[in-house]
Amino acid sequence: METVGQQLIITAIPALPALVFVVLVLFGRLLKENAQYVAILGVTISLVFSVFALLFVAGIVPGGGEPIEFSKPWINLGDGGVFSMGVLIDGLAAVMLVVVCFVSLMIQLYSGAFMEGDKRFAWFYAILNLFTASMLGLVLAPNFIQLYFFWELVGVCSYLLVGHWFEKPSARDAAQKAFLVTRIGDAALFIGIIIFWSTTGSVAFEDISQAAQAGFIGGSVFTAAVVLVFIGAVGKSAQFPLHVWLPDAMEGPTPVSALIHAATMVAAGVYLVARTYDIFVQSPTAMLVVAYIGGFTALMAGTMALVKKDIKRVIAYSTVSQLGYMMLGLGIGSYTAGVFHLYNHAFFKALLFLCAGSIIYAMDSYNMFEMGGLRRRMPITFWAMVLAGLSLSGIFPFAGFWSKDAIVASAYEEHLYVLFAMALLTVFLTAFYIFRAIFVAFTGEPRTEAARNATESPGIMTGPMLILAFLSVVSGWVGIPESFGLPIRDYFAEFVVPSEFATQTLGLEDQAFSFWLGGLSVLVALLGIGVAYALYVQRPERSGALARRFAPVHTFLDNGWYFDALYGATFVRAARWLGRATNGFDRNVLGGLVGGVGRGAMRTGGLLQRLQSGGVQNYALFILAAVLVIGVIVGAQYAVMVVGLIALATIAAFAVGVRL
Amino acid sequence: MPQMPSQAQQVLDALLASPALEAYLVVGAIMFAIGAWGALVRRNAVVIFMCVELMINGVNLTLVAFADFLPNAGGLGASYAVLVIAIAAAEIAVGLAIVLAVFRSRRTVNVDEVTSMRG
Amino acid sequence: MTIAFGFLAGMVLVSALGVVISRNVVHSALFMSGSFLGVAGFFVMLNAPALAAFQVLIYVGAVTVVILFGIMFTQRPQVRRYRSIINRQFWAGLCVAVGVGVFLSYVVAVEDWGSTAPGNGPREVAKIGRQLLGVAPGSDIFALLFQVVSVLLLVAIVAAIVVSRRKIGTGVDRGVEE
Repeated sequence: METVGQQLIITAIPALPALVFVVLVLFGRLLKENAQYVAILGVTISLVFSVFALLFVAGIVPGGGEPIEFSKPWINLGDGGVFSMGVLIDGLAAVMLVVVCFVSLMIQLYSGAFMEGDKRFAWFYAILNLFTASMLGLVLAPNFIQLYFFWELVGVCSYLLVGHWFEKPSARDAAQKAFLVTRIGDAALFIGIIIFWSTTGSVAFEDISQAAQAGFIGGSVFTAAVVLVFIGAVGKSAQFPLHVWLPDAMEGPTPVSALIHAATMVAAGVYLVARTYDIFVQSPTAMLVVAYIGGFTALMAGTMALVKKDIKRVIAYSTVSQLGYMMLGLGIGSYTAGVFHLYNHAFFKALLFLCAGSIIYAMDSYNMFEMGGLRRRMPITFWAMVLAGLSLSGIFPFAGFWSKDAIVASAYEEHLYVLFAMALLTVFLTAFYIFRAIFVAFTGEPRTEAARNATESPGIMTGPMLILAFLSVVSGWVGIPESFGLPIRDYFAEFVVPSEFATQTLGLEDQAFSFWLGGLSVLVALLGIGVAYALYVQRPERSGALARRFAPVHTFLDNGWYFDALYGATFVRAARWLGRATNGFDRNVLGGLVGGVGRGAMRTGGLLQRLQSGGVQNYALFILAAVLVIGVIVGAQYAVMVVGLIALATIAAFAVGVRL
Repeated sequence: MPQMPSQAQQVLDALLASPALEAYLVVGAIMFAIGAWGALVRRNAVVIFMCVELMINGVNLTLVAFADFLPNAGGLGASYAVLVIAIAAAEIAVGLAIVLAVFRSRRTVNVDEVTSMRG
Repeated sequence: MTIAFGFLAGMVLVSALGVVISRNVVHSALFMSGSFLGVAGFFVMLNAPALAAFQVLIYVGAVTVVILFGIMFTQRPQVRRYRSIINRQFWAGLCVAVGVGVFLSYVVAVEDWGSTAPGNGPREVAKIGRQLLGVAPGSDIFALLFQVVSVLLLVAIVAAIVVSRRKIGTGVDRGVEE
């Protein structure tokens, strides 16, 4: 067990950004633009601590070498059990911690310039830090409850940040869409958690895994629960069919897109699958589901990115596609490859977004076809984007190559040829669309006035970009397989490994690095770049002609395979109808009931009002009649009188009624 | 005095007998009823007063009848009747003053034209 | 006695009806005083002659005059149609009044009044005098009541004057000049 000091350091990792959040919420209005310094300080310290944790788990710091685990009870249900909040840092978590802190730091540096002059500057930073804290808490979680708690929190932060510019109706709608679609996944995840809890009595990952091995959970129930958990990951990571929210989430500021929707939050889904890998491997069906959904999503999103004009949307679809790759990797059993791609992807995708943001900062436009010729005007952005693009396409020796190729190769080596074909085709598409974007934006002549006047972004923005560019190239070099022939150890594969149990269950053979597969994927990528070059640099008019020739296909892809339309026509219409029905019921029935009570009282009052004629004799008549009736009732022993007098009273009442 | 035939004697006896208590009470009740009726149907305020006086007299009659017929009452009913007369007189005085005041402002003594408390 | 009773009863009830039904207000007032005289006769029959004297003095004497004064001050021309003197409650009022009358009569007639015999009334003036002052046995409360009624009369006089005072500036009562 670690010392209290070490525990405090670990706890400070998520606690510091949370503290920054509180400070900025309370004093944001006072701090204004100085909020960024407070935030950057907090994240930097967290980063340092995360690195410490990484070194500790890796064994470099004396006393370490073991995963860090500690927890405190949080909710005590007595007989129902105890939920605790705690920390579990193994190789996977340690890497994620560093990635999250680092990318968050880069983004917060970048935002200082990008969000300058924004009305809600300090609030932006506050939520950004809340998000960072939540993501770190999620990564540290040793059990489902804590994971779910931070999972939800991360979703809320995403909603708040996508809707940061809530004056724009499109931003409001996008935020709502993001939240609702991920909610579907969250609901499924929760049901899965409940199933696990009710069958095993615990929510901790290790406990559930062991209980599943011991046979506590029946076969189909287990698969169902695992698939439900995966659906949660599908929602969060924008996989098919819950992918529709991510492109719309580009309405948020670009730093948000870079941090949340590229590097960290959407990775939470992949992280979940990796974290609960011991549970997943026990259900081969679930693994197949993961793999095929991942592969299909990769291909689908790749096609959708081909025709987009908005540069951020292209990168968004790219994210969906790459997440599909990661799921594919995890699904086929290549745990290390999937997580490695996650780690690499964080850097170059964040960089791509930052470059897009840089262009937007300079030009105030998202549309690629309004740009052009920015190569000379914004050289740093250009070269950074090219490096990121090459890494994304998986060109040797950039970072992306090592992880992407590992996944593609594994697919082939496992004899999952359909998945292999999907993955390979996606390599082509990826290279094509990203270089299409780069060529259209940076080469040729400026197409608009704004493009002509564009200048490079300030240093505080290009600084992080350069750092990330450097990482996009070298981050993969910690994971070069030894069979490649270089005298470097495969640090990553040693550090981030699935558990003994998982490796045994999967029963995969260790494959050597396959040169021909690697060469094949590089070739396909270069082919993609070449086609993009031919269509957009050499003869730009060819692309227009091609679009017109295949117009129906073009429209199909441009509208996102009509998923939005499909969902709109079915679920959204149904939900709206339900909302209208409920509103109508509330207004007319319930409101009418309440109003009806009032109206009824008024009407009765109006009727009774006529009794108050104002005439004294009228009142005297009533008095006398009442006295008579009372007298008759009291003197009921005079039975004969009673009948006669009641008759008289009735006649009198009629007479009175007529006269009134 | 020559002996009368028995029926004539009976008739004479009946004619010369004192009425029972109930007779006086019934007369008083009918007087009250007539007074009540008048108070309810007449429009003129002064006439309504007169009818109220009728009712009071009916009650007085009842009181004195009881005073005379009930041995244990000690004849006090008559004294009560005196007090009632006094009070009725006071009531008439004040009541007519009010009628006069109303007449001055509204120019009418018809009770059903004074309906400002309607509604 | 019965003849006297019948005659007086007829006088009282017919006069009462006359008060209600008469179209002329003054006739109503005179009918009323006729009814009062009948009641005075009843008082004599009931062994309370002093009371009969009071009745005639006060009711026939003062009350009737006051009523006539009131009629004079609020004069209206004699009406031709009953509609003008009878309000809309005619039949309803009739039903209720008849009901009240019948009910009361029935109750009174059926009730057992115990051993009754005439002759207990205050035949002598002195007797009623002692009763009124609270000196006679069993009439102690009257000592207070007598004084209270005196005060009441005083208050009534003052009230009548105050209520019927003319406010400063209003015109002369037109009823007097007609």
